[in-house]
This record gives sequence, C-alpha cells and structure tokens, in this order.
Amino acid sequence: MKSALKILIFCIAMGTCSGALLVGINTLTATRIDRHEELKLKTAVLDVLLIPYTEDNALDIFKANVETMNKGNMMIYKGKDQAVAFEFKGPGVWGAISGIISLNPDQKTIRNLKILHQEETPGLGGRIAESDYLKQFKNKDAVPRLVFTPPGKARANNEIDTITGATYSSKALEKLLNTTIKDAVGLL
Amino acid sequence: MINQQVDTKQKSWLKVMTMGMWNDHPIFCMVLGICSALAITNRMDNAIAMGAGVTFCLVFSSFFISLFRNVIPARVRMLAYMVTIATFVICTDRFLKAYFPPISAAMGPYVGLIITNCILMGRAEAFASKSNPWLSVLDAFGCGIGYSFILILMALIREPMGFGTILGQRIMPQFWTNWVILTIAPGAFFLLGVYLWILRTLARKTE
Repeated sequence: MKSALKILIFCIAMGTCSGALLVGINTLTATRIDRHEELKLKTAVLDVLLIPYTEDNALDIFKANVETMNKGNMMIYKGKDQAVAFEFKGPGVWGAISGIISLNPDQKTIRNLKILHQEETPGLGGRIAESDYLKQFKNKDAVPRLVFTPPGKARANNEIDTITGATYSSKALEKLLNTTIKDAVGLL
Repeated sequence: MINQQVDTKQKSWLKVMTMGMWNDHPIFCMVLGICSALAITNRMDNAIAMGAGVTFCLVFSSFFISLFRNVIPARVRMLAYMVTIATFVICTDRFLKAYFPPISAAMGPYVGLIITNCILMGRAEAFASKSNPWLSVLDAFGCGIGYSFILILMALIREPMGFGTILGQRIMPQFWTNWVILTIAPGAFFLLGVYLWILRTLARKTE
C-alpha cells in the first residue's frame, strides 16, 4: 500500500514537471512556428500565382495582391489578374502528397503548380517535386481532366508525361489533381 | 550487476566517455539505433541534425534519470525513462521547427521518433540508472558522439553517390549517374553492413 502510494505520488510529480516544461517550450516557440507555417503557405501561393516577392516582404505582397476566399472546406486564393490558386492534398505511394496549384484567369488551364510535401521514392516518384517535371503542366487544359500518358507520349493539350519507374506516384498525382481541380472549379 | 557497479566506479571519467565512441559503440557494437541510421543519412545536413538531436536528448535524459535514480520506483522505471526521454524529444522537435524549419521539414517524423531510438532507453537502463549524474552525462555524450560519427560517415558516402552533392553543393562530375539505391533505406543496409564489417575488423585489432 505504501509503495503504491509512493508510485502514485512519483507519477503525479513527474507528469507535472514534464507537462510544465512542455507548456513552457510551446509558449516560447508557438509564434515562430505559426509564422513559418504561414510564410510557407503564402510564399507558395505567390510562387504559383507568379507574383514576384522577396523573403522579407512576402507577407505584405501577399496581403496587397492576393484575395483569400473561404469556400466550403477549401481555401481559394485569387490574384489581381483573376488567376486562382488552391491547395491539393492526398495519398501518394509511401505517404501524403500536398501542394498548391494555380489556374489561369480562364479557369481552365494550369498556370503553375508546386509540391509542398511528398514522401515518394527519392529519385523515382520523388521527382514529381522537381521543377523540370512540373514545368510541363504549364498551360495544360485541366478541365475536364488531365490525362497522364506513358513517358514521351504526351501529345494533346491535356496530356502529361509520367515519370519512368514511378507509375504509382504519377497515378496518385493524376487522381489527386483531377479531383481537386474539379472540386475547385465547381466552387468558383 | 554488482560487478558492473564496482566496475563503473573504477573507470576514469575519460574512459567512460570514450567507451561509447569506440569499445561500446552504440551502432557497431550494441547495434542500437539502426533505424534512424538507415532512414535519415541520405543527406549530410540531416545526419548532422539527427546526431545533434540524439546527443542532446541522450545527455539530458541520462542526466535527469541518473539524478533521480534513487527516487524512481523500480516498478515504474521504464515509464519514468519514457516520459523523461519523450519530454526532451518534444523540446528538440519544437526547437527545430521554430529555428531550423528546413531541417525540421527534411527530417519529418524522424525527430519525434528519437523517442523510440533504442540508444536512449538502452543507456538509461544500462548506465544512467546505476551511475552518478556526472558519469552518466559523459557516457551519454560519448554514445551520442559515437552515433553522430557513424551517421556522418554514412552520409559522406550516400549523399555524393546518391545525389551527387555534399551539404547541397554539387561535387560529383557531370557524367556521374546518381545511385538511387543509396538514397533509400535498402541501399543504406548495404552501406551499414560494409561499415560494420570494416569497423568491427578494426575494433578487434585494438582490443
């Protein structure tokens, strides 16, 4: 009985100490972490809307040039030239893929896209995040849908070359982009 | 266990510290912490950050476990180690997120997974729970440095051969074809095997 009490007291004391330490570190770092998250998202939006910025004035430029709209469960970012950007997020092969994509003012063709997070196989599926791969999306017809074709076979204006050796990563990205674009265009 | 305790007392502080760096090296003698050694050593900056993170968590958790070794009830000691380790790991994670966001993003969930790194639990149970704080800190520091050293050695091969770069700077000639296998965990298995072979052969000579 006495030892049980001792264990109980010990656990409560330990929990309190470690809890206090964690609350402390959280208070110290929370604002910085939030700012990094905000900056990461906003610079990505500016990137895909092709609005030039520098690291210091990114937040001001975002505020001046981008209109943020909350439509249902989706955030849509609109530039001054009526181009829109929105986030996409979904499963890849090994983990989540997320990124941000923008459509030209015609709301049909892709202006730009950027992968913010991916856990695909490095060197194979991981190449979906490389700018050399992503640049082929520019000005492609995303409505009604993008079609991913075998490497080097893309002809029509809605066809995208897949990456050799990364069939499943490409399929995941194709599905993800098509569903997100369809949802977003429906909301606009 | 009693023998080990007497042993510990007789060891000079320098010996305690260098044990973890060579004779009792966490990776190639105890074969602990392999998971992270395979996962994050494909780039040098990640390897350095991981080594520093593990060393920090190891030193602090060992210090506190050793400080309270006579207070911690034997029946809940594992739980006490776990809570202590987890607290410091979360601190490291938040610190990296706040001050080094690119490294934090590159390491992803592996910072949090320092909690499950067997080296921390192993040193807490095998050393810190039986020795005074001063020696525990030295032991933890030695093991942390020993561990970081292997991570850096692995990254030194994996980053140039897998990505053609070192710390993000291109060093391999243009004609070099990246060995993708070395950037993923299965390739790291081969490399770690080769290192274990070399280092154990060397270690046998110094014994």
